[in-house]
Amino acid sequence: MGSPKAALDWHGSTLLRRVTGIVARVVTGPVVVVSAPGQTLPELASRAEVVTDAREGRGPLQGLAAGLEAIGDRAQRAYVSSTDVPLLHPRFVEYVLRRLGDDFDVVLPEIGGYRQPLSAAYRVDLLGTVEELIAADMIRPAFLFERCRVLHVDGEAMLEDRTLAAVDPRLESVSNLNEPADYERARALPGPEVQVRRFGPLARSDTPRLQTVRAWSLGEAAAAVGLALDEHIVAALNGDQIIRDSQVPLVAGDAIAFIAADAGG
Amino acid sequence: MRRFPPGGYFGKVLIVDLSTGSGRTAPLQESVLRSYIGGAGLGTWLMHRYCPAGIDPLDPRAPLAFVFSPLVGTPLTTSAKFAVVGKSPLTGRLTDALASSHFAIAGKLTGHDAIVVHGACEQPSVLVIDQGDVSIVPAADLWGSSAEHTEATLRERMGPAWRCAAIGPAGERGVRYATISHDGRHAGRGGLGAVMGSKLCKAIAVRGRGRVASADPAGVLAASKDLRERSFGPATAKYRELGTMSNLLTFNAISTLPTRNFSAATFEGASALDVGEVSALKQVARSSCASCSIGCEHLVKGPGAKKTRMEYENLFALGPLCGVSDAEAVVAASSLCDELGLDTISTGGTVAWAMECAELGLIDAPWLRFGDADALLRAIEQIGAREGIGDLLAKGSRAAASAVGNGSEAFAAHVKGLELPGYEPRTLQSMALGLAVNARGADHNRSGAYEADLSGDHDRLNGGESHVAGAIDTENRAAIMDSLILCKFLRKVFADPYPEWATLLERVTGWDVDADELERTAERIVLAKRMFNLREGWTRAEDWLPDRFLSESLELESGRKATLTADRLDAMISSYYRGRGLEPTGVPRPSTVEELELQALTTDLDK
Repeated sequence: MGSPKAALDWHGSTLLRRVTGIVARVVTGPVVVVSAPGQTLPELASRAEVVTDAREGRGPLQGLAAGLEAIGDRAQRAYVSSTDVPLLHPRFVEYVLRRLGDDFDVVLPEIGGYRQPLSAAYRVDLLGTVEELIAADMIRPAFLFERCRVLHVDGEAMLEDRTLAAVDPRLESVSNLNEPADYERARALPGPEVQVRRFGPLARSDTPRLQTVRAWSLGEAAAAVGLALDEHIVAALNGDQIIRDSQVPLVAGDAIAFIAADAGG
Repeated sequence: MRRFPPGGYFGKVLIVDLSTGSGRTAPLQESVLRSYIGGAGLGTWLMHRYCPAGIDPLDPRAPLAFVFSPLVGTPLTTSAKFAVVGKSPLTGRLTDALASSHFAIAGKLTGHDAIVVHGACEQPSVLVIDQGDVSIVPAADLWGSSAEHTEATLRERMGPAWRCAAIGPAGERGVRYATISHDGRHAGRGGLGAVMGSKLCKAIAVRGRGRVASADPAGVLAASKDLRERSFGPATAKYRELGTMSNLLTFNAISTLPTRNFSAATFEGASALDVGEVSALKQVARSSCASCSIGCEHLVKGPGAKKTRMEYENLFALGPLCGVSDAEAVVAASSLCDELGLDTISTGGTVAWAMECAELGLIDAPWLRFGDADALLRAIEQIGAREGIGDLLAKGSRAAASAVGNGSEAFAAHVKGLELPGYEPRTLQSMALGLAVNARGADHNRSGAYEADLSGDHDRLNGGESHVAGAIDTENRAAIMDSLILCKFLRKVFADPYPEWATLLERVTGWDVDADELERTAERIVLAKRMFNLREGWTRAEDWLPDRFLSESLELESGRKATLTADRLDAMISSYYRGRGLEPTGVPRPSTVEELELQALTTDLDK
């Protein structure tokens, strides 16, 4: 790719900021970024924590071990993602995590004939097993899957979930960017369609209150309706969190309410 | 030599005994004024000083204080405010109700920083204060009148220089959430109108001919011009352009709109109460308080084409909280509350509780149903008259639930007896803490912790340490704004509030006050209120939310559940106590009392 994927621009943000932001929308526990020694990371959302993978070059299991160790006892399940999946949708993360019940240790999507270990859910207590494998120099994920209970979920089964199928019908959540051309193609895609509504003094009589716009981030959505997030204007994403960070990633189907920051009354 | 009184003050309080019709002045030491400033802060000190411990709020000996502030009478925008302070008949704890009107200016210019009344008139009367002269004028003909009619009649009789604060029929009849009105505005929360009514005092008429000087008149003038210009900026746009009613749709969109007695946080009828679209809520006139450049008052056409003030709290409490989406009916209900002199939040909260009870068959009022606008109006009329079920509801939701029992206490939405305002605590968890711990009870003006929840700086559904910090910070800032006094709608105008407030106070008083001192003053005032309540029997159990909020979750549009567990609330309260320098029981630590110089409240008052 010529430069670290994490810092690649994504419509005014970065790939890493987008992916961590999407995962953060789903999980209530920590969001851990595993970096290489000496790697400079772009700006992250306030909830993201960075740990360094001290043993670079030991493959995905080493990164998995570093992440699971950082989570510790703060969560029982973890969604693991690569940084180069800008089309990741929160409903995909939610689906994979939801399937990880007590009977399995890993939920492993298989899409397009490929296993997706970097779009999968793992029990945090697998850490010991992962460390044993690394110590034995068995650093391919396949060794882990042989040692634990894996729920294999194919794309067809995933799309039986209507909520997921509605927002990610081609399961592009796992589309990663391996070549510069992949990146350029993805970046040329139009932003996801989102619904924007302005409230109170932000609503104007000359424009409809409810508008559909295309935007990759909250900042883009605000700009599309002539607003900018600042100390007087905040946004509510899907009626949930109140946000002032313009880099918060948006996905298809999002509903954004722009409101006055002062709710006194 | 230091000047006394300092700029902005007269350095004395007028104490009126309604039983004898006599008045006397007592000095207010500079140390007291500097420590408590004015308004709610000075009012708290006055209650420590003049309120007998353990007294029934409706006992004639219970004092009622009208407290001004150093900024009253200056050209600073929104400064024509005063606090009415007393022991609440609704909560049994300290309450201070703020309002803005010409009464503040005329009252202060009688030459006093506060007027404390105690005793009771022999018959329905008006207390007349003309500078330092006090008299009691019988006014049986006004008994039963609305506050608006009383004010108009008195000014017609006495002349336009007179300003009046009056009670309506609800105050006369002891409704425990009756208001005190002036210029059509209300000192609303906590039922101090009933305290005034218990003294057979229909109104207080004041005429001020004094003058009060600022230490730095040119500096005050310059600050006034600057503040006025800033008050026209984006920070106050909501208040100017639409008024606070525009909160309703916003809160509905973020699942924060209390609906059907807090059983839901979104209202399916919200669009029928859209201030931007619904003709019944269209502004027919815009007004402002005395000395205010914001002009948040949006008047709509009420019953009989009468202009009626509407704001978010009226709209939410008499609309979604009661399940009513008929905008005309909500305006009529609000107008009726004004006429009777009823706090709309407590009225709506108590009626909503009764509607739920009626639907569950816990009270014998089958006509009282959520969404029934006629039933809402009928209930309000009965409360004002204390007839039928109105006699029970006139006591507020806590006392009514205590009488009805059968589990109805769990959904009586109050804290310390004061009904909750229009902010859902499960989806605003910093606010949940603020509502639980505030001395006045469930209140959005003394604890504006919703600001922290809506700042975007934390997860509003997952209360923790940052929520506690937000609750303490907003409570402190409210304590200063309520004591200076400046309108809260100016708060976003101040980018760095404490230094800016210190500068304003310095220019008016001449004190070398700085931001650090004001922050300590804020903490002192918050704890002084707590200490008054402690004296009156407060225990930690009162810093809590009703069971409904801790046992029922709400689902947001995003699919997330908003849950506030008892453990989480308890943890936040414990953290709040640590942050405030309190023992785990909620009592101030001796070191905190000493550090904030609060020991004088318990040891040095010359009673």
